[in-house]
Parts: sequence; C-alpha cells; structure tokens
Amino acid sequence: MSDEIKNIKVTIDNITIDVAPGTTILNAARQIGGDVTPPAMCYYSKLEGSGGKCRTCLVEVAAGSAADPRPMPKLVASCRTTVMDGMVVKNMTSEKVPDARAGVVEFLLLNHPLDCPICDQAGECHLQDLGYDHGKEGTRYQFARRTFKKEDIGPYIQLHMTRCILCYRCTYVADQLTNKRVHGIVDRGDHAAISTYISKAIENDFSGNMIDVCPVGALTDKTFRFKNRVWFTKPVDAHRNCTTPGCCGKATLWLRGDEVFRVTARKDEWGEVQSYDGKPGWICNTCRFETKKTESWKIEGVTTISRHSVIGANKYKTLEMPNETVKRVMKGVEPKLLMDIHSISNVNNPDIHLSDIKGPAHSGDFKK
Amino acid sequence: MARKLLLEKAHVEGIRHYDVYRREGGYRSVEKALKMQPADIVEEVKKSGLRGRGGAGFPTGMKWSFLAKPDGIPRYLVCNADESEPGTFKDRYLMEFIPHILIEGMIVSSYALGSNSSYIYIRGEYDWITDILEAAITEAKQNGWLGKNIQGSGFDMELYVQRGAGAYICGEETALLESLEGKRGNPRIKPPFPAIKGLWGCPTVVNNVETLAAVVPIINEGGDEYAKIGVGRSTGTKLISACGNINKPGIYEIDMTISVEEFIYSDEYCGGIPNGKKIKACIPGGSSVPILPANLLLTTAKGEKRLMNYESLSDGGFATGSMMGSGGFIVLDEDQCVVRHTYSLARFYRHESCGQCSPCREGTGWMEKILLNIEKGKGKMSDIDLLWDIQSKIEGNTICPLGDAAAWPVAAAIRHFRDEFEWHVNNPEKCLTENFGLRHYADPIHVPTN
Amino acid sequence: MIQFKETSLKKVAEIIARYPEGKQKSALLPVLHLAQVEFGGWLDVPVMDYVATLLKIEPIEVYEVASFYSMYNLKPVGKFLFEVCQTGPCMLNGSDNIIDYIKQKLNIGVGETTTDGMFTLKTVECLGACGYAPMMQFGKTYREHLTKEKVDAIIEECRAKAN
Repeated sequence: MSDEIKNIKVTIDNITIDVAPGTTILNAARQIGGDVTPPAMCYYSKLEGSGGKCRTCLVEVAAGSAADPRPMPKLVASCRTTVMDGMVVKNMTSEKVPDARAGVVEFLLLNHPLDCPICDQAGECHLQDLGYDHGKEGTRYQFARRTFKKEDIGPYIQLHMTRCILCYRCTYVADQLTNKRVHGIVDRGDHAAISTYISKAIENDFSGNMIDVCPVGALTDKTFRFKNRVWFTKPVDAHRNCTTPGCCGKATLWLRGDEVFRVTARKDEWGEVQSYDGKPGWICNTCRFETKKTESWKIEGVTTISRHSVIGANKYKTLEMPNETVKRVMKGVEPKLLMDIHSISNVNNPDIHLSDIKGPAHSGDFKK
Repeated sequence: MARKLLLEKAHVEGIRHYDVYRREGGYRSVEKALKMQPADIVEEVKKSGLRGRGGAGFPTGMKWSFLAKPDGIPRYLVCNADESEPGTFKDRYLMEFIPHILIEGMIVSSYALGSNSSYIYIRGEYDWITDILEAAITEAKQNGWLGKNIQGSGFDMELYVQRGAGAYICGEETALLESLEGKRGNPRIKPPFPAIKGLWGCPTVVNNVETLAAVVPIINEGGDEYAKIGVGRSTGTKLISACGNINKPGIYEIDMTISVEEFIYSDEYCGGIPNGKKIKACIPGGSSVPILPANLLLTTAKGEKRLMNYESLSDGGFATGSMMGSGGFIVLDEDQCVVRHTYSLARFYRHESCGQCSPCREGTGWMEKILLNIEKGKGKMSDIDLLWDIQSKIEGNTICPLGDAAAWPVAAAIRHFRDEFEWHVNNPEKCLTENFGLRHYADPIHVPTN
Repeated sequence: MIQFKETSLKKVAEIIARYPEGKQKSALLPVLHLAQVEFGGWLDVPVMDYVATLLKIEPIEVYEVASFYSMYNLKPVGKFLFEVCQTGPCMLNGSDNIIDYIKQKLNIGVGETTTDGMFTLKTVECLGACGYAPMMQFGKTYREHLTKEKVDAIIEECRAKAN
C-alpha cells in the first residue's frame, strides 16, 4: 500500500499526518500511534462493517475540515468517521473526551462481572486494559448484574454471555469467514445476547477465530480454558504447512516448557489478527485446536508482544536486567539473605552455613 | 377558527373512501404535479418552509434536495408511519380516517423524487389501519392514480404498506430501513445518510406521514401560500395530539400562531383541566422532549406568552424551554407525580433501546432502576446527582437519537422538579401514599374558582 | 410438517413481489406476522425454520428478528391476548388500575396465561392511543377508554366467542 496517495492532512492531538482519502480518524490515529490512538472495543479493521457500537473511541472534532472548519456538535465515533482534509481532532487533549470515555467504560462494566481473577481472559483482556486506562475506580452500580448461563457452542468454544459486551465482532467473523452463520444477536436492549437461539454447535473450519476477535472472556478456547494463566505461558511465533484453504498457517504458540497450551492467530499491536500481504492471517480450527505438538510446527522465535497489558509485561525480547538496587544500597556487598531468617526458616537447612555458599543463596543450596 | 389544511374534510361522511375523497377535491395535487417538472415540485416544497413533522423538524425541501440521483440506480420514498413516541397519535388519525391524503401526498412526492416503488412502513400494532391503507391503495390503483403510466403522464409507481412488529426504534429512519429490509431494527451508523445509501443501498428519502400529507395542500395552493400560514420558520399547520389530564384529548390542527395557554384552556382545543384542577406540568412535543412546569409552559423565561410553534416552544433552550417534537402534547395535573411519570418514561426507553451501543443499552436500564427506587421511597439523595450524571453520559454519545430521547426527560425532570425528587428521598413512607402536589411552578394564570 | 395454507402461500409470494429481485428477506416481518396468525399465535422454532426456508435465509436471521420485535410471541400464549399499555400517558389515566384489575379478575400475573389457556396478560409500551387511554391491544384492533366494566365486557365477549 506504499503507493497509496496520502493527500489528506489531519491533525490529531496536535500531531499532523498525511493519510489516504477515506481513512477513518481511528486509523489515522493508529498511524501516529501511542496515546493519540483512541481505544476500540468493537471496531476491528479486518471485519467489514464492524465498529460504531461500543463508543469507547469517541473523539472531539474541533474543526471539520479546511473547507468547513466548524467543530462537530457531538463527539464522534472515530472508527466510523472519515477524515477530511484539514480536520482537527482532539482525543487526549480534549476536555470532553476523557469524561465521556470514562462514562462509556462505566457502562461497559455495569453488567460485566468484576471477577477477573477467575476469568480466562484476564491478562489479555481489552476491557481490563480499557478499565485501567480510561475507567474510574469503584462502581456506582448498586443493582444485581445481568447473568446468563454458560453455553457450549460446539466442541471447541464456550460462550459465557455474562461477560459479553456485545461488540458483534464474532457475528462478523461468522458472516465473513464462514459460509453459514448459525449464531447471532437475539433479543434486544439490555437483554440482547449472542446466541444460536437453539443451543446449536457452531461447526466450521474458522469458528475459532471468534475467540481471537472477542475482546473479553465471552468466547474462550475450551482446549485451553483454565489450563494456565496466559502470563505464565511463553508465546512463540510458528508456522506450518496448513492445507485448509484460507488458513495462513502462521500462528502464535503459547508454551509452558515444551508443551503447547494453546494456539492463536498472531496479533498486531492493536490486538487484531496480523495481516500478510494485505490479507488477515486467520487460522483454521485444525491449526488452533488440533495441532498442539511443537514438532508439528516450525518455531520462528519468541513473539514480540507490543500490547501493554499483563501479557505484554516481562515478555521477552527486550528483556532488561533490573537495577542491582540491593547491591548498591549495601555498598557493593552482595548479601546472602536480606534478613537472618536462616535459623528459623523451615525451608532453609540451618546445618548448612551461609558462608559455605558461594554467591547468592538459592533454595537448592539448602537441599544438599 | 384556525385554517385547516389536512383535517378540513375529516368529518365529511365517507371521506375514507375514494369516491367521497375525490368528490371533495382529492387527487387534484397529483393532476397538477404530473404536469410540473419534478425539480419544480421540490422547489415548491422548499418555498413552503415545511419542516419534518416526525419530531426533528428538519426542512423537508432541503432533505429532498440532498437525494443522490446516480444513473441507473433506483431511488425510494419511504413513509415513516411507525408512530411510537408516547403522546403521539396524529398519524394514526390521518391514516385511519383520511388514508387517501397520505396516498395522494406520496404520489406527488414519489414523482418529485423519482421513486417508482414507495413504501409505507407502519407500526405493527396498527393492524387494522394497514387494512384501511391497503384498501385505499387498491381504490387509488383502480382509478388510475397508481400503477403504470399514471394519468397518461408516463410516470409509473407502486405503493406498498409494510407492517413493523413492535419496536419504537424503527421510527428512527435508518432503523426503519433495516426493518424494511427484514432485519433487526438497529439504527445504522451515519454517514452515509439514506439520501446517499438508504433502502437496499439506494438513495432514499424517509418522511413522516403528516409531512407527506402536507405536500398535498402545498402543491394545490403553492409553496408561497402555504408559507403565509404560521409564523417565522413555523409555516403551515401542525397536527397536535393532545392527551393526559385534559378535558378533550384528541387531534387538533393548529396554525402555529396560537398560544399554549389558549390551546390548553380554550374549548376549541383541549378544553382545560378536568375537575377544576390546576396544571402542574406538560410535555409539549412527545415523551422525549423536556417536561416543563406550568409557569414555564405558559410563558417563556423572558415573560412572553409561549406559542405553539417550533421557535417559541424551544425558546430558552433546554434550561427553560422544550421542543415542538412530534406534537405529542401530554398534560399532567396537580395530582400527578413527576417522579413516577419519569420512571414510566425511563422504563419505556429501556424497553425500546435496541441494545446496539453501550451508553443506551446500559444507561437506560440503570436510570430506570434508580428512578424506581426513588419512586418507591428507597432512593438516596446521591441518586439524584447520579441520575443527572448518567443522563449526561448518554446524551450525545449514542449511535442514534434514542439515547438523547431517553436522557432528556430525566434531565428536565430533575432540572425543574428536583424538590419533588428530594421529597421522595426525604419522605420514604409518605411518598407511597401522598402526593407532592404543586409548588412555585403552579400555573399562575388559571386559579380554579371553586 | 409445517406448511402455510394455499392462500397464505399466495400472500407470501405477493409480498415478496413487492421488493426488487433478491431482496426477499424484506418479507420477513410480514411473513412472520402471517406465520404467527396461522400457527397458533406464537413462533415455535420449526415455524421460524420454515419461514427461513421460504425466504431462502439462514434460520438465525429469523431468530434474530423474531426476538427483536415485541409483537412476536416466542412462547405459547392464550387464545385471547390482552396487551395493556402502561406508558406515561396511559399511566396518567389509570392504566395501573386496569392492569391490577385484570390480574385479579383472571387470577394471573403479567406475562402469564390462565390455566384454561384462554387468556394471556401482557403489559406493553406506548401503542399510539394516548388520547384514548387507558387502552389495550386486543387482536387486530384496540380497545380504548378502558374501565373495569369494559374489561368485564371484553372478558365475557371472549368467553362467548370461545363457546
């Protein structure tokens, strides 16, 4: 896309960028990157028609265009608003946006169970990130939360509607990746739910991608559920020669030791499935659910995770050694233990004298 | 007696049927229009100053001029007969008793816009009115006003009635189009607007029943003549459906120069408040517009007499004014509880939210629950501020105007009747059996004599 | 097997002909109305699947729509359905009392059906009859200016019709 004509000038949070005609404010902001980029819970650039629903990406348009510099009267959904030449957008610099966004976060969390510690999505949940970044502490909601029964939609996927924020992404996956949609939105208003209506299994080669696009823990991988915490697993990029038509064969394996705990599509910095040659890198259910041996994959290397949530922490490529604070405080003395609990510890073996241990003491030193 | 344009013949025996309607001068506007250029009809409508009668009040001629006309792609006219705004029942009256005026208006408008297949999307509950409309369409067709080569003009047009199935949101024009396409009534994200991409992706105009009916007198008498009726940018006549605590609920055609006071108290219109009671408050334009206490209803904040038109009803903005809206005029007398009424409207909007965008889906239900608590004497003082904050977070932040429609009644009720909310909180027992009654805002003009 | 009667099938074809070629999904709402009338006053899953086949769409597209609109009953209802409006303007004119009266008279709650399968009571939101409140939808038409006496008369009317 490098030959694309970029002749539309847009200014977002005082940063001006040239973009191609038809670019949305959100995608223009993504080209700038960083805090300038509004969060998006329902928009998914690889799914046509997505966006506009969650309202987290609302921004202020301070000037509509160079030709008509009037401000837009309301905040607009940046994911569905096309930039005009000379448009001036305020996201983080707006006085109205943070408040409105905090409101949206509160609405999204209103009926969302706040039980992240027992949710499989914790650590890679976009709603968790959104809450930390844009939400307020505590809840003002004093009523019973809406709940639904868990539902198995096929052998691989569990739907827990209680956690759903109705982004509609999974319905777009079904519409656009499979030839037959069997699930959708039933009921309306605050009772609206993702459902097959008749508890039907979703059976097709690409249904697993619904899990990847789900921003929360509503759709989870039954082959992985509760097997491990995502932040304990080590993601590596891998590929295989997949014969399923439409499958890119490029995946991220989430390992613990040599064991493949789960397989997902590779994600980009916005948490979306990566593109290859302009095409989204969806993977098939065989790769995702049935190919869980490392020897079936060609491992390319450690996955760079550029998202900033828990799974982004401590991972891996740009590992930095922590400052040797203790050594500095101790004026160059490398302590064996910070306190003398040696004699009362059940772990340490008091028969082994600390001075006999070379360098810092490890638990293994006491097991000899 | 005000000039009537739409309801002039409403009481003629048998006006529902073609023969009588035609005898009384019906379909003249079609005869005239078919001899005009479509663009000239649009021009007449522009000159008339007609504003959309569904609620938003957008100039109809301007809306028509936005319609894209790409070659080889059909254009559509869709009539919005999904009348669902609480307090509004005027379109029903027109369609039930004078169905041919809508059909006539739609033929002229379809010709002006180049629509060869036009649709009336009527709310599903108006089942019997669907039959009336379909019978009238058959009559019109038999008499050569619909079908191929209408009156030898070369213009072809079919008109169909489609029933909704119970969803207020389908009154929003893009939700209506979705519904007409056989889908859930989820409003579309705009742009693109229907004038560019509407029904089945084609350029489409969606107009309210009363708006399309008003095209008939505009063509018959000319846009300039029509514009002479009324005042300022409130031209022509407007149907008001009056309900609540009044002596004579019903449909009234007004010319937008009369005062609110006259409308409520004169025998020609609402005939005053029953049982000699005082008026407490009024929602002048359908449930979503701000409720006004009696004093601000009858006079503006500047102390001028408030008139029944677009400008005067919105004088003072939301701080001290309201809106003409759809013309659903709901009157509350001194025995009514504003908290309870607001709760009822909040329940309505929660029930009617499509659930697509988060502020409306979650916020409407939250407001309903808090309002019910306050109404039942279980509220806290902080709930009132919380309600205010919730409505402010919904307003303007949703895909479609239903969010605003749900927020405004709550905001206005707190703005003008905060003392009543506080009284409920402070009197958790008493509020279940007693009424807060009237305060400073009581109608200062009409003190009952008995 | 579920199948519309001949006249209804003709009606379905007529409805589909109102739309451009390939846009037969537009007929969904009217066809569901027909189906509800013909197949016992509610939309069972096989009925919706049949409608999907008729219109050449996926069943989920029918479920999505049927569950969105309040006029489609997704559970069986009584022979006579009372849908009483409870929104603002009706409430101002005593709709709560009418609802209470029907509950007590028929000994059912809102959303329930009498044990003999005769009556179902539903509350609904604004039906556009605010000037004639309180009111209810009763079959194809409205019953307006309701009073306890009128409710009694309607119930009697139903019982007479059922016999």
